[in-house]
Amino acid sequence: MHRSMFDFRLGRVLAVGAAMATVAAACGSTPASGPSGAAPASQQVLSINDQTEPNSYDPGQETYTYEAAVGRNVFEPLLKPKADLSDVTGAAASGYTVSSDGLTYTFHIRSNANWSDGKPVTGSDFVYGWKRLLNPALAAGYVDPFFDTNVAGAADYGKVDATNATAIDAFLSGLGLSAPNSKTFVVKLQHPAAYFKWVATLWVGAPIRQDVVESAAGGSFPSSDATKAEAWASNASTIIGNGPFKISAIVPKDHVTLVPNTHYWAGTAAIKQLTYDFIPDANTAFAKYRTGALDIINVQGANVTVVRNDPKLSKQAKLIPRLTAFWMAYNTKRSPLNNQDVRMALAKAIDRNQLTQDVLHGTDKPLTSFLPKGMLGYDNSDNAQSFDAAAAKQLLQKSGVSVADLNKMKLLTRNTTTNQTVNQFIIQQWKTNLGLDIQLNVIDSKTVTKMIRAGNFDIYGPDGWGADYPDPQDWADIFQSGSCHALNWGCPTLPGYDALVQKADASQSASSRLADYKTAQKQLIDTAAVGFLYQQYEYDLIQPWVTNMSITPIDDEYVPGDFYYQGVYIKKH
Amino acid sequence: MSAEVGRRSKRSASPSFRPRLPNTRAVSLSLYVVRRVLWMIPVIFFVVLITFVLMHLAPGSPWDKGGGRQLSQSVVRNLNIKYGLDKPVWQQFLLYVWNAAHFDFGLSYQYEGKTVASLILGGWPYTFTIGALAFCLVVPIGIGLGVLAALRQNTRTDYLTMTFATFGASFPNFVVGMLMIIVFGVLAYNVSGGNVSLPVTGFGLDDHLIMPVITLALLPTAYIARLTRASTLDTLRQEYVRTAWAKGLSERLVVLRHILRNSLIPVATALGPTFALLITGSVIVETVFAIPGIGRSFVTAVESRDYPMILGTTILFSVVIALANLVVDILYVFIDPRVRLD
Repeated sequence: MHRSMFDFRLGRVLAVGAAMATVAAACGSTPASGPSGAAPASQQVLSINDQTEPNSYDPGQETYTYEAAVGRNVFEPLLKPKADLSDVTGAAASGYTVSSDGLTYTFHIRSNANWSDGKPVTGSDFVYGWKRLLNPALAAGYVDPFFDTNVAGAADYGKVDATNATAIDAFLSGLGLSAPNSKTFVVKLQHPAAYFKWVATLWVGAPIRQDVVESAAGGSFPSSDATKAEAWASNASTIIGNGPFKISAIVPKDHVTLVPNTHYWAGTAAIKQLTYDFIPDANTAFAKYRTGALDIINVQGANVTVVRNDPKLSKQAKLIPRLTAFWMAYNTKRSPLNNQDVRMALAKAIDRNQLTQDVLHGTDKPLTSFLPKGMLGYDNSDNAQSFDAAAAKQLLQKSGVSVADLNKMKLLTRNTTTNQTVNQFIIQQWKTNLGLDIQLNVIDSKTVTKMIRAGNFDIYGPDGWGADYPDPQDWADIFQSGSCHALNWGCPTLPGYDALVQKADASQSASSRLADYKTAQKQLIDTAAVGFLYQQYEYDLIQPWVTNMSITPIDDEYVPGDFYYQGVYIKKH
Repeated sequence: MSAEVGRRSKRSASPSFRPRLPNTRAVSLSLYVVRRVLWMIPVIFFVVLITFVLMHLAPGSPWDKGGGRQLSQSVVRNLNIKYGLDKPVWQQFLLYVWNAAHFDFGLSYQYEGKTVASLILGGWPYTFTIGALAFCLVVPIGIGLGVLAALRQNTRTDYLTMTFATFGASFPNFVVGMLMIIVFGVLAYNVSGGNVSLPVTGFGLDDHLIMPVITLALLPTAYIARLTRASTLDTLRQEYVRTAWAKGLSERLVVLRHILRNSLIPVATALGPTFALLITGSVIVETVFAIPGIGRSFVTAVESRDYPMILGTTILFSVVIALANLVVDILYVFIDPRVRLD
């Protein structure tokens, strides 16, 4: 029932610069009757299989891609990514300015940005939304990018007494968030952070209406009361958003239906009904797609081959790169994996072409570097980890570590089918190319999480990362020593890495940042900090009548084009 | 998960058997029901206790993600405070029991701001409808086929019936469900040009029910058919049946009065738990047909360690199973006059 091997909090990605028709946000010109060639309004229905029901419709409580896919169409943050991911572009804000010290971000909210009930979006709505997000009593799962050294005063997020309203209020009023006038929102940062513009694109940083929240709760309430604070978010009629769509019906575990927000600043969307189905079984969704009752689905496993061999379906298929990469984590605190040559030998002994072609149905692509294709900073020129059986064998001999010692190692993995098949292949590769006989240890997912958090494993994989936003900072920070046992499990020792990445994170010079991240990436590859494996691609079916899709590299998993549904329409068919 | 499956209080063929006046019997039956219902309280308490202990022994916390990035320590701390997991486990248990005794089953960890009661009551009608309809297929078809096969033992009818029963019992639900979707959903749609086909997913009080109900009913029908056949064959060899034939009674009378009534006792025993299982949902049928019932939510609750949801669903399951067994025990009185409840 999991979406993939890993539940990334955000995800999706790159359409190899296939820089989709830049229908983009500028679709404000869409006439009410719809574009020429469009089907009549009654047929302007777009149905997507989102697979899993969102746990909440409060954007601040949404942590998974299947939640963000709905949330970002109902609530609009300040900025959004451009379709080619080269930079951010305006969303609820038309733009922003940064002070010369890099510490103050001023966002200019659009004069015509409106809520779905017609009221204007104000700076105070953002202040309220962001303070809700940072309220420790609400324990928002995706809050890290906002308190991790970012918003001034938020560093104490994990220390406030979350049961004490007075303590919470004191903490919240000390945050660097303000609205000097109704159309301006100002954020003060703790440290300069060049990537902060990307944080402002996250769906959790949405504005929230205080009057709506309080009226659903039956009046104002203390900031320690989490139950009253969420009362508004389970009812379609009280979910007032500022995105291109608004929720019209919630049918738990079945589907959620959205209709256009007629007050949206860029005009009313052409799609009159946007439905997210929650069909958990990929085969069932595939069957439903074939009856025309779904417009967009993800194709999994053996069905990939079915689609490829079908003359009609294969034309509707899209292979979409994602900013998600997988690797093997080595516990570098244990012998013999503390030996760099051993780690490199293991990495070089895996034929990634065969892995992606034969085991992964030919959708994913080999990756022997850190940042996936489509990310700023992608660079595959370093071949140190590329497949080379002879070189791998030599490295193992050079390391002086015996096969018997290595055979004591176990490969830990989560109990999903994909994880098991991938690892059985890798173990076979190590056997064929290095003469090793390493045991596979398949354990239930929650137990695995507990074990890797405690550093209680030898080799663990496939481990991976899905981009929160397409800035290398989001990736490079994983391997800082402070993230050991929190974001990275093998805890490799990387001299100079922390300082280099921190410098790049803070720098205002785009070119020097990029150079630094590339250096950091090279260090990860050359020291075999982890063994890189492959980049995930998504294989989706889209009905031929769905027109004007703008698929970006960072779309939510299995919901391609979801940043730009405002411009999509159904053509006559 | 559950409480007293198959618990019976049958005193069979007691030598002290004597007929009772109907009103005495009604009083003793009512007393019996009251006693059994009261007994459910300690049963459920222990079910909760055992579930609570096992749940907390299972590795991993509700806040561990299945993979990828984990929540930061600060967020985990605040979540624990928010849901009272920062208190000692024994305190959490007592608090839960106290609240549950007042019909407050707490907030789900998975679904922000939703109570367990609202989630269960929201999903159960779907599960119950499909399960109850499946049961309506299971009883007549299962018993009918079983009796037919027994009466025509070693004939083509018997072999056909038992072949069906064997297939029904061996084909997994997800295969049957998916085959039906492909044939009656996709194939029928393509062949008829979209005019005739069954809906593939979802719930509705219409043709949406056909495929899930049949899929769900298949295995228990096969099971009941085999059970009925075996028990009927057993009864057929009893001397009282031979006597009935010898008296020259019609086949209808012998089958209905002498054979069925006796052969149905073990079947009734099995029907109780079968009914309970059907109306509490099948994760597989609900997943294949994307039905928003509670069978699926129980499994996701276990996977994500949604403690209040696990406990709430377990309590519902134990109440349903206990009640189903009680109904079976009462039915004995009517099926088998030798049975007394006291």
